[in-house]
Amino acid sequence: MTDETRFAHASEAELSRILDYYGVRWEYEPRTFPIMWGLDGKVVESFSPDFYLPDMDMYVELTTLKQSLVRRKNRKLRRLRELYPDIRIKLFYGKDFRALMLKYGRVDLAASLSGLEGQVAADRINSRLKADAENAAERDDVTVAAGPETTSVQTETSVQTELSTSQSTASPRRRPRASRGSRRRRGRRAFAAARVVA
Amino acid sequence: MVQAQHRARVPDLRGDIGQVLISEEEIRNKVRELGAQVTADYTGRSVTLVSVLKGSLPFMADLMRAIDVPVQIDLMEVSSYGGATTETSGLVRILKDLSSSIAGRDVLIVEDIIDTGLTLNYLLRYLRGKNPASLRICALLDKPARRLVEIPIDYTGFTIPDEFVVGYGLDFGEFYRNLPFIGVLRRELYETA
Repeated sequence: MTDETRFAHASEAELSRILDYYGVRWEYEPRTFPIMWGLDGKVVESFSPDFYLPDMDMYVELTTLKQSLVRRKNRKLRRLRELYPDIRIKLFYGKDFRALMLKYGRVDLAASLSGLEGQVAADRINSRLKADAENAAERDDVTVAAGPETTSVQTETSVQTELSTSQSTASPRRRPRASRGSRRRRGRRAFAAARVVA
Repeated sequence: MVQAQHRARVPDLRGDIGQVLISEEEIRNKVRELGAQVTADYTGRSVTLVSVLKGSLPFMADLMRAIDVPVQIDLMEVSSYGGATTETSGLVRILKDLSSSIAGRDVLIVEDIIDTGLTLNYLLRYLRGKNPASLRICALLDKPARRLVEIPIDYTGFTIPDEFVVGYGLDFGEFYRNLPFIGVLRRELYETA
């Protein structure tokens, strides 16, 4: 599910894995909403929510920066809601993400996947996700090659297969990676945030 | 000596609770109320209660005795997400499946708490595939602030604020389940975990 996607932040990669785990379909930054135009009519500001959950018709924006640094994002979100009142969007703050990690007993991961550190970790995670996908593909090959002996699987496995098959047949369109503009914006935000912290 | 250094802290069962959110008496009254609602809705029928281990056990045990129509019970357990560094299989596993068929039966899922809705969303899809006559949800606690997946809850006990709660089946590191009330765990206990 995550092999083709390059995430801008480690927390986004982690959320995608959680959604995959529970069989919730998602798309990564599938749509950009213009939220401000110049006098010449050109778009000067836009907002690309991190995830879209098609089965819930809901967008999820994940921000793990400190609460004091999310003011700009809150403003953009307010603007989005004003301009697109029919769009359902949920903002997941750093404290929400930490609570999610706590729920799954991985509060130790929360710090390394949050804030600026998470931006650094994103590349490592993208590489690992790619490796995981390759390993999974290799395992599938081995299973197929093993023949009838591997068919005596437990009920739980068949359930997984059933659910994951229905998921993969309706596999959402995903961008292979964040757009250049998106990456630049994130870079600028990280730089600005680092200056504030310093 | 090395083992002693790594030995986990023994929880102070009541001392670790910062605040009692829902008292034992409030739980008792609410369970009685929920039982009466379920009884009214299922009059003339039987209902199969399906509980999700382990957190729902106390609620299930009390609720079934507050329902005054014929009841059958069953238990399920599903794996929980374990984080990127430990989990590579990437999918929920049914650790304990239903003991008997629910096809054609009226089923009521009994949950201790609904927060993200991810586990319950998975279970709903799984149980719908078993062709029950009806499928409803009864949750003692609803924490809507954490919701990622909207779930229609038919019977709700309490809507609670965005706090980490334990007791009455709810745990932290498998402890505190035996508290008779629901309390907010002191923050420093999990922020330093």
